Amino acid sequence: MNISCFSTSKYMGKKVQGKFKIIKLFSTYGKFGIIVILFMLFIGIVSILFMGNSYKIPSGRSLEAPSLVHLLGTDDLGIDLLAQICHGAVVSILVGFCSAALAGIGGSIFGILSGYYGGWMDKLVMGICDTLMVIPQLPLMIILGALFGPSIKNIVLVIALLSWSRPARIVRSKVLSMRHERYITASQSYGAGFLHLVVKHFLPGVFPIMMVSVIGTISHAIRAEASLSFLGLGDPTSKSWGVILNRSINFKGIYFTDYWKWWVMAPLSMLILLVLSISFVSRDMEKVANKKL
Amino acid sequence: MKKHYFLILFIIIAINFFLPRAMPGDPFLYISVEEGGVATTFSQNQIEQYKAYYGLDKPLYIQFFNYIRKLLRGDLGYSIYYDTSVSKMILIRMPWTIFIVVCSLFLSSIFGTIIGAISAYVREKCADKLMYIFMIVFSEIPSFLLGLLLLFVFAAKLKCFPLSGGITAFASYDTVWSYWYDILHHAALPIITLTLAGLGNYYLLSRNSMLSVLSKDYINTARAKGLKKGRILFKHALRNSLPPIIARMFMSLGNLFGGAVLVENVFAYPGVGKLMSEAVRTRDYVLIQGIFLVVALMMLLMNCLADIVYKKLDPRII
Repeated sequence: MNISCFSTSKYMGKKVQGKFKIIKLFSTYGKFGIIVILFMLFIGIVSILFMGNSYKIPSGRSLEAPSLVHLLGTDDLGIDLLAQICHGAVVSILVGFCSAALAGIGGSIFGILSGYYGGWMDKLVMGICDTLMVIPQLPLMIILGALFGPSIKNIVLVIALLSWSRPARIVRSKVLSMRHERYITASQSYGAGFLHLVVKHFLPGVFPIMMVSVIGTISHAIRAEASLSFLGLGDPTSKSWGVILNRSINFKGIYFTDYWKWWVMAPLSMLILLVLSISFVSRDMEKVANKKL
Repeated sequence: MKKHYFLILFIIIAINFFLPRAMPGDPFLYISVEEGGVATTFSQNQIEQYKAYYGLDKPLYIQFFNYIRKLLRGDLGYSIYYDTSVSKMILIRMPWTIFIVVCSLFLSSIFGTIIGAISAYVREKCADKLMYIFMIVFSEIPSFLLGLLLLFVFAAKLKCFPLSGGITAFASYDTVWSYWYDILHHAALPIITLTLAGLGNYYLLSRNSMLSVLSKDYINTARAKGLKKGRILFKHALRNSLPPIIARMFMSLGNLFGGAVLVENVFAYPGVGKLMSEAVRTRDYVLIQGIFLVVALMMLLMNCLADIVYKKLDPRII
């Protein structure tokens, strides 16, 4: 009993070390990306804990330039931009994470189904994947966004609906190669059912490869949310970075005054920074995963 | 293979037909209540009449059947909001979009390929690493954010380019040249944006492709013959690494169109993307359907072409 406990904890320790090792394998840019993502998470948490409702309640004159009171200035309603940006981080990360998680879960379900059963199921799922890949994503997203109505939940659903095909393909090919492994055949001969195989064998095997593609999906989702909000199809109550951008661009005279220096540039640079760092991280993850496999 | 494309075509047409019908909102609300204007209200009778006129009162499957029959005749219907023929509206807007998309496609593929080839030739050196990071950064930034950045820096601040539109309104031109200059001047920023956004793709592709070609024996032979660097690079190596790049040119058109939709909205460029966001705003079913169908058809065609061209260029692919 004691011994087994000891060995488990040792095993756990090794695993944790392994996780940190992955970050050590990253390039400088990947590390930079992780730091930026942690920073975004930090300002998001700060916004939730300490800033309260200051992202939607005016606290100064309208269109103030950056000063000590309002570090990033205010928008046309006199709402502090720093508070809005911090709140926007929550929205963007949440949207990215939720839709990527949904796409990953849906993708792996369909991928496992089509890889395991083959036949018409495989043909059907892969056919849908092919179609999704050929259909122009952004126009379809615009139409679906308009169809479901502007709310965060719907944006997440739309993005997930259109981006599960990549994880599904990857999972399917992995399952196809796993299906004829000896240990699968062995457990099948012991009478293991589909569910048992999925939970005990397929999911653990598929998980790392799926995570890599899911992280790619996060950056895609954040981008898609920003584009939809920029076109005015975002949730007007959510104050994501895309919504702030849309508001500022549609302000009359934004091109002829200096307001853009803080009103446009702040959300713009935050979006660019976040998308870039996530893609750096996902690139490095892919590299590490490819080396290990 | 061919069956596959027809199936996708059918699915696209079906999506195209059913989605707008499920959209919330009603074109009558938008026709009758205009912003700031006098609210013209329709009586129930009139609404029925209009619905009958547009065929919206029939059961769905008959509408769908009629829709396909009309499509086969090349008729995309009349816009509910603008009251003109949809195919005509798309035809007017399409050249603008095609112009910037094709220009940026060629610019980004040519520059990306050349820079990628050079980068592969000087691999592992400082210049290669610098180019690599630069390209990755530009390819990862969403194109409309890049466009906004360029718009505010070059058009609003430095005033070297016009802020919006595709051509100066109400201008008269002395010569053909000044006319074209005006168009190019307006299109410059959108084209630069799309080019920068697409550059990284070709760069990576060309760099990878070149790296594999450069390690082949015939390159060593060429070196041993004492040929000049440029000749080896562009004549021997680049030629053999072109097939994947050309295939990518066709395949990337879809992404480019998606980017163009957003970039056109950034620069208020009078292309199909701008028309699309206008159509969504006014809930113009017919117009949305038409645009989506045309764009999807073009993409499907390009994918099909990419398959064919790739097979022709590289007979090893079955």
